[in-house]
Amino acid sequence: MKTNLVKKRTHTKSNKIYNKSWQAIIFILPGLILAIAFIFYPMIKNIQISFSDYDIMSGKLTFTGLNNYKELFNESQQRFFTAYRNNILYAVVVTPITLFLGLIIAVAINSIKKFSVTFKVIYYLPVITSWIIAGLMFKYLFNPGIQGPINYLLVNILHIIPQPINWLKTEWGGNISIWILGIWKNIGYAMLLYLAALQGINKSYYEVADIEGATGLQKLKKVTIPLIKPTSFFLTIQLLIGSFNVFLQVLVLTGGDPRGKTSVLQYLLYTRTFKLYKFGEGAAIGILTAVSILIVTLILNKKMKVDY
Amino acid sequence: MRRFRKTFTWLLLILGAIIFMLPFIIMIGNSFETFTFSLPNPPRLLPKEFTLDNFKEIINVYHIFNYFGNSVFITFVTTIIVIFISALSAYAFAKIPFRGRELLFKLYLFTLMIPGVLNIIPQFMLINELGMIGTRRGLILLYVGTGICGNTFFLRGFFEAIPNELIESVVVDGGSHFTIFKKIVMPLAKPAIGTLAILVLLGTWDDFLTAKIILGAKESLLTLPIVIHRINGQHATKYGLVFAASIITLIPVMLVYTINQKFFVVGGIGEGAIKE
Repeated sequence: MKTNLVKKRTHTKSNKIYNKSWQAIIFILPGLILAIAFIFYPMIKNIQISFSDYDIMSGKLTFTGLNNYKELFNESQQRFFTAYRNNILYAVVVTPITLFLGLIIAVAINSIKKFSVTFKVIYYLPVITSWIIAGLMFKYLFNPGIQGPINYLLVNILHIIPQPINWLKTEWGGNISIWILGIWKNIGYAMLLYLAALQGINKSYYEVADIEGATGLQKLKKVTIPLIKPTSFFLTIQLLIGSFNVFLQVLVLTGGDPRGKTSVLQYLLYTRTFKLYKFGEGAAIGILTAVSILIVTLILNKKMKVDY
Repeated sequence: MRRFRKTFTWLLLILGAIIFMLPFIIMIGNSFETFTFSLPNPPRLLPKEFTLDNFKEIINVYHIFNYFGNSVFITFVTTIIVIFISALSAYAFAKIPFRGRELLFKLYLFTLMIPGVLNIIPQFMLINELGMIGTRRGLILLYVGTGICGNTFFLRGFFEAIPNELIESVVVDGGSHFTIFKKIVMPLAKPAIGTLAILVLLGTWDDFLTAKIILGAKESLLTLPIVIHRINGQHATKYGLVFAASIITLIPVMLVYTINQKFFVVGGIGEGAIKE
């Protein structure tokens, strides 16, 4: 009798877990309902809205065809293309600098024993500081006139420029400020991931390199950088996608001044939608941004084949 | 040569650290400056005379602690709900085989590629149709809804690492998946859940756009980032005031971060995604 029972148990053991797969529904359902309502459905709805006019009072959508897109490309042409250009410039400038400095700092921290935690904390602080607060700090730093610490540094201390620059109210001054804030805030993230990657490298690679008489720079180029390629790849994608996410920097620092010359897609989306109530146009900007991101991701996936 | 390199490394790290800390030092210094519209000229790191006026004003006139309370409430409720629901989903994706599981999971993954903010318009409309604009319920619901896919993905990685033998042993004894979830998976995944909770906590605490759009009209419910931005826009920026408010907002973040520093360093943030 007893042996029989044991036999039965072992026999059904593997099936039993499968027989209960109906329970999966209960586990999945709460999340799935929310995901459908707030992610999957909005993704599709966004397409519909981009082809319509939305009346916020009645909540009615009227189909208007390509109107919103035409509006973006024609009438407000400058605004859309400038914003798009600024996103691309941000990606091109901020991504490589962030990766480079993040790696340098990670290698430096990895090579010291004392105070490495302290440095890690310091370099990671900007990452955990909210964009609003970080933006305000930099708005202060980039103040016009000689009271602005950056101007003071450049004019009175380093004597690099003769006159204080009105950073936030000029096209390039504003964009440069936005980039610098982005770099300052992202480096800690790159550093953290690079540190994790560096610590995962097998020490014997370096021992071999030492025997061969490689210099520090050679080791960095021939051993470290190839071995942390997956991290670089991951970070590049993250930063490139992140550069389509630029919004609060612009909101706090320049407000798109002068005349939308420092605006970015999401800032345009925000102002068109929630200041001017042009929901359709906002949705069209959203669709175009999403398409851009998908293309970037697909290209990167193809170009940067990485063995995981 | 070696000594030279070492000195250089230290010099680089210290110089970098100073540059990284400078904005924080300036913020702190300025929050103790005398209350004025114009900036000190020439710029200085620390005020000539220390004053608490900015903090007094931000507390007494701007009632910062009311908004602090709003932020705490919304952040905690969101974190608890989103983690619980994501953990349920992640368990099913990791340990209960069912038809269409991989496809559904791929869909979840796909949504992560698209920045959440791009769906903000239909999400706003949905909350509007539910009559929840200007309510905490609406905001929390939206946070939870948009947090599901990412957090499920994150937790599944950890749940999968739990040996199947452990789970089968409970099944053999006639236990249900609920028992396994409660008695085995959740206790074992505590570190992962802790890490994720901190990330959700910080993300919610710092969120500006969603909160602004959903709460927009409801003055009494506003969260800290919105209030800071509002004070900033009210005058020709009284930096003493906004920095005092910023410091009050930053303190809990710093505390959470320093206390749980090891969670951040162990990684978790990108680790799961890299291995993919």
